[in-house]
Amino acid sequence: MLHELQREFRVAMLADDAGAVAGRVCADGLQAHARLSVYRHHVFTSLTAILQSTYPIVVRLVDARFFRFAADRYIRTHPPTSPCLFEYGAALPDFLAEFAPSRRLAYLPDVARLEWAMNVALHAPDVVAVERAALARGPRIALHPSVTLLRSPWPVDAIWRANQPGAADDRVELDGGEVHLQVWRAGDEVLFRALSPAAFVLREAIAHTGSLEAAAAEALALDAGIDLAAHIVELLDDEVLIARS
Amino acid sequence: MGGGPAIRALERIRRDHALSIHGVGLSLGSADGVDTAHLARLAALVERLEPSLVSEHLSWSVVGGVYLNHLLPLPCTEQALRVVADNVARVQDRLGRQLLVENPASYLRFRDAEMTEPHFLAALARRTGCGVLCDVNNVFVSCANLGGDADAYLDELDAAIVGEIHLAGHAVNDADGRTILIDDHGSRVSPAVWQLYAQAIRRFGAQPTLVEWDTDVPALGVLLEEAARAEHIAHAEAPHVGSAHAA
Repeated sequence: MLHELQREFRVAMLADDAGAVAGRVCADGLQAHARLSVYRHHVFTSLTAILQSTYPIVVRLVDARFFRFAADRYIRTHPPTSPCLFEYGAALPDFLAEFAPSRRLAYLPDVARLEWAMNVALHAPDVVAVERAALARGPRIALHPSVTLLRSPWPVDAIWRANQPGAADDRVELDGGEVHLQVWRAGDEVLFRALSPAAFVLREAIAHTGSLEAAAAEALALDAGIDLAAHIVELLDDEVLIARS
Repeated sequence: MGGGPAIRALERIRRDHALSIHGVGLSLGSADGVDTAHLARLAALVERLEPSLVSEHLSWSVVGGVYLNHLLPLPCTEQALRVVADNVARVQDRLGRQLLVENPASYLRFRDAEMTEPHFLAALARRTGCGVLCDVNNVFVSCANLGGDADAYLDELDAAIVGEIHLAGHAVNDADGRTILIDDHGSRVSPAVWQLYAQAIRRFGAQPTLVEWDTDVPALGVLLEEAARAEHIAHAEAPHVGSAHAA
């Protein structure tokens, strides 16, 4: 019985269909539908606020009203499945790629992917990075959980920077070619860095193989001239390598 | 619940201050039961931060794996009481400590209610050994919205089970021409709620008190004024002034 009431309540919240649950509510001088609307309003405004805070550059690119419209559709079709709200909104980039009203903004889903990667980096668990001496012993390694490797045909890093408050230059060349980014957390700060294709493959291969040696071979296969020693120093300095469990 | 700067900041605060961990995600009223993965994360957090109090709400948010991000209302029925009691017992077993359960702000009530909310909370405490977090602003808001008497609500609540008090501001909105109060934690505590707080202190003693303000957060000075006012009332109104410990 309680389960049935809760299922009906969910329909009243997400599908605007209060028909079933309204009959269970005391009107008390105010219609049941109006009382249910108070709850629905909070569900949508609070979840929209979460999405706005995770995707501020997307909000800026499409404007706040359009974003609220898109968020309303997203919340109905992709409601949260976890009470940890920093995990909410992972599917928004794919949703935007399919969302007809904004589909002509071809770069928008990848800008959203960059913002999601930054959100993941901010909340990722704290794991101690591998140090130089330990790496020399050839352990199995992985990328730090804060790291996302993001490849895009659009200059999403330049778009992100041009849309920061107070950005000096807000013009972006859209046809500058593919970008390869490492997004991660350094201390308390979330950063991203543009990589060469070979440096990107080096990191991808570390994630896939767990072996620095195998990853180096893949990077060399792509670019025989890559300065591997310099790249390994960069990985250590960024503290993005961890021991593979 | 994740890593990064937020949890590190809490650990720094924890060195100098007692923490009260206040959850909104356990969904104690879910007929589906408590999400064990979320409970495990809460248990890890409690172990890491060693708070002096842990609390949640008399409400539900999860059905069929969907989290609705609101403290949704429960019918005050025997069946709902069994569901909440089972969930509270599971949480307390997992955490190895007492949970305080808070009365939510309500905007509706169900026709099939079999008891009042204070009775529901007292029965829950008897069955599970949990305590009650009395949110005085929620008492005021719910009574205004549902046509109840806030003084009578406090009189009905079993004083022995109250272990913490919350205060907050509320918004006054219009819904179809009727005033409805919204518990939005976005302004100063209203004069009527301060009066009700004094009554709560007389009844429950000087319990640890939290002023909730998480929408349009003001300058620190305003928050300190609100906290000082709560502390003053707790000292002035407590039956045994020597044991006052309002925070």
